Amino acid sequence: MLLQRLKYLLPSHRRSEESDMRAELESLAAMAGPGELGNIARAAEEARAAWGWTWLEQLWRDLQYAFRTLRHNPGFTLTAVLSLALGIGANTAIFSLIDALMLRQLPVHHPQELVLLKMQAPHTDSPAEDSFSYQIATALAEQRDIFSGVCGFSGAGFDVGPRGSVSHVEGAWITGGCYQTLGLSPAVGRLIDRTDDQPGAPPVAVLSYGYWQRQFGSNPAAIGQAIEVNSIPATIVGVSPRGFSGASVGAAADITFAAAEMPRLVPAFAAFLTPGNFWLRILARPREGVSIPQAKAHLAAVWPQISERVISPEWPADRRKEMADSTLDFAPGGVGYSYLREQFGRPLLVLMAVAGLVLLIACANVASLLLARATARQREISVRLAIGAGRGRIIRQLLTESTLLSAIGAALGIWLSWLCSRFLVDTLSGGQAPVTIDLTPNWHVLAFACAVAFANGILFGLAPAFQTTVIGRSGMLKQDTRTTHSHSRLLSSLVSAQVALSLLLLVGAGLFVRTLENLLRLDPGFQREGVLVVDLDGQREGYQDARLTAFYSDLLDRARRVPGVASASISSHTPLSGWTWTEAVAPKGQPVPQRDNAVFIAAGPNYFATMRTPILAGREFDGLDRGSPNVAIVNQAFAANHFPGRNPLGQYVTATVTNPPSDLQIVGVVKDSVGENLRIAPRPTVYVSYFQRASRTDSLEIRAAGSISQIAAAIHKELQPSFPKTPIDVRPLTAQVEQTLVEERLMAKLAGGFGALGLMLASVGLYGLLAYSVVRRTKEIGVRMALGAQRGAVVWLVARRALGLVIAGVAVGLPLAWLLSRKVQSMLFGLTANDAGVMAAAVASMGGAGLVAAYLPARRAARVDPMTALRHE
Amino acid sequence: MDLLQGTLDMLVLKTLLMEPLHGYGIAKAIRANSSEALEIEFGSLYPALKRLELKGWIAAKWETSEHNRRAKYYRLTPAGRKQLQAEHSKWAGFVSAVGQIMGPLPEGGK
Repeated sequence: MLLQRLKYLLPSHRRSEESDMRAELESLAAMAGPGELGNIARAAEEARAAWGWTWLEQLWRDLQYAFRTLRHNPGFTLTAVLSLALGIGANTAIFSLIDALMLRQLPVHHPQELVLLKMQAPHTDSPAEDSFSYQIATALAEQRDIFSGVCGFSGAGFDVGPRGSVSHVEGAWITGGCYQTLGLSPAVGRLIDRTDDQPGAPPVAVLSYGYWQRQFGSNPAAIGQAIEVNSIPATIVGVSPRGFSGASVGAAADITFAAAEMPRLVPAFAAFLTPGNFWLRILARPREGVSIPQAKAHLAAVWPQISERVISPEWPADRRKEMADSTLDFAPGGVGYSYLREQFGRPLLVLMAVAGLVLLIACANVASLLLARATARQREISVRLAIGAGRGRIIRQLLTESTLLSAIGAALGIWLSWLCSRFLVDTLSGGQAPVTIDLTPNWHVLAFACAVAFANGILFGLAPAFQTTVIGRSGMLKQDTRTTHSHSRLLSSLVSAQVALSLLLLVGAGLFVRTLENLLRLDPGFQREGVLVVDLDGQREGYQDARLTAFYSDLLDRARRVPGVASASISSHTPLSGWTWTEAVAPKGQPVPQRDNAVFIAAGPNYFATMRTPILAGREFDGLDRGSPNVAIVNQAFAANHFPGRNPLGQYVTATVTNPPSDLQIVGVVKDSVGENLRIAPRPTVYVSYFQRASRTDSLEIRAAGSISQIAAAIHKELQPSFPKTPIDVRPLTAQVEQTLVEERLMAKLAGGFGALGLMLASVGLYGLLAYSVVRRTKEIGVRMALGAQRGAVVWLVARRALGLVIAGVAVGLPLAWLLSRKVQSMLFGLTANDAGVMAAAVASMGGAGLVAAYLPARRAARVDPMTALRHE
Repeated sequence: MDLLQGTLDMLVLKTLLMEPLHGYGIAKAIRANSSEALEIEFGSLYPALKRLELKGWIAAKWETSEHNRRAKYYRLTPAGRKQLQAEHSKWAGFVSAVGQIMGPLPEGGK
């Protein structure tokens, strides 16, 4: 029976069925007397209903009708579709990013079973740590009655290729149990297992499927091939399955090594395998049959013993105790780990809300368009009701129209969002590490867009549909002033709501744009323009100890001699590089605290001159500071902390720069300059002489006196020959500063864009309403003019209406903005969430937009010819 | 006379038990067999035929009528026969139950 009915969906079957029915009815009509059979068409219609697909046919007819009406009103359709496309597109773009970063499950075996480990220190409010040491990861993997597998992983960058043709490849370090924990099987070859994660095991690499495709043309012969990684020969043993590029979302790993290979591949990071270094994220799979609470309880019971084993013996007693008292917690691990989630999670949710507001404005636009048009269609609908169409049927038809509109809008919006999301990923990638996110629309995103579109179609279609049909039922074909009034009241409140919403958006845009401006304008304590930075890693080139220092000194000398270089220096760290060095320090004679309390930077001669950091007292390091006594330069914050009201020059501090701590004489005080982040006030900082400390990975700072790009090229040409194994990167310090502002830039760009979009949509709504009311009031305007009203008065009539709508919107929007903006206070910098300037600017631009929207309707009103208007009656 | 809900299907099946008929013939037969008491509207009869056909209780075939006209003749299928039996016994039960209650009305009863 169902099969029979399904057959009627086939057009060919239905056609033959139709013609058969027609022939039968004709033959019967021929036999019967005239009129004896009654209304044959109706009988046929009801017979068709037996097939059960009448609703589908009606829908099809409604759709055809809707298409025709939309095509005949191109202006209306274009405005409505564009409004919706922008609204839906903005939402889909942000949602696709949220989906990719926070919602999408890793392409692994039963991802929902995985947990991400977190460690919460006792008695602190600080957020739980998600980094663990290699020792902890290994010890947890041994807890076979809790976990069936434990996977520790961390991002990495490798220099791959033979001398001379080295390229940088993003990769990962993993512990031996990783692939087994995730339940992955190789696309080709084998994956890394426990035997590879042992000291002394031969270095083997697993490639991502994408990298294997790009670099090896998917050739299975790549397996077993030798590659040079950081100038160390390694063997490719396998390719991970297609679609999997590591457990870190947003940081695709193209080449993966076992963590135990770290000392060999990156000698500078050898210490990472010691107990004191926390750098691995851990995903674990609880054993089958062990519930999460059971696993947690069991882990809590064994943790004190584990922590005893894995704590660094160098740690002071209170830190050891703190770790033993820490609790291990599980977060859902199926979505993997992403540092982007912490950084961008909140901004993205704020943006999602903002995009939601844009959509609401767009919806209001379409609703008021439909409402205005419903008034125009009053006559048509009254006629249809009068000749016997059911009210439900007409409402259904009107809803079909609005849903069709939003479906077209959604299709366009998905396309727009796909364009935008590339721009979003580019913005995100401006940071310290490239971001790779797959944003091809997937079913999540498509389902989201469809749901939004469908909900919209119903939402903004329903009110106009009901209104129109209610009026129609009274059977009145003439314009009814009372209902027109209720229409225009609804229209005005829709437009005022749009104004209120776009005011919210404008305030948001103002706050985030000003935040970015404030950060860019902030005096960081150094002058970033004109400075080039070169990171050096001489250990990879085979230099050690004294030879390394000599190598760096030679590079510095050569850089200084490059034409156009005003000054150059060398330091252990550069500002805003993401790396810091901390030690414990106290004025000599006072006990050195157990925890690090100051930032340390080793700086060479001319460092402050090159960075243009003002020296407030004393001197800067010079070439003589190679020998003893050990000297130090401190910043204002340090001086104020440790030598309040005293002159620190000539005083001694004791610092843990060596073991045991050594004494340093303060020879200078410099202005504070930012270190980790522009938002964080400079911390107490001690600069030690570069040459009084063992060199490791350091950086050159070069102040250019001419064109920065030319000098960068010249420096690169001069220094690269000394680094046959690693490509060097000469980059402007400004770029390094910009990199720390990715989040702020994203917020400023998007909030600004959405603000502009909202303003535009609200202006269109306002314009539409004013234009409509001018048309409706043509007669009244004509009468006024005939009675002697000046054109100015008529213009004022329209402008007053516009201002009234804007003021009503502002009256609602401003208090809302005042309440809501506080939710983003923590994301702002240099202004409060209720900044009066931002609020005033938002109101002013809304008012300006209102007047612009009023201009055309006002002009049309002023041109009304009284005679024509009156004759119209 | 109005028909009880669902009675029409039963009447059609019963009518087709005797011989295959076309749509107009069924209407005429019901009228004739009820001594003109039941006037079936073609507008109701025709959709009922389609419904019964879709359920597989009757089947249709183009044939030539006694007046040498082509028409679509409906006949009862085995499934339709079974259905008729079921409906018939239900109907008989219903009639006898109602008959017991109603009985003959006493003369001049209140």
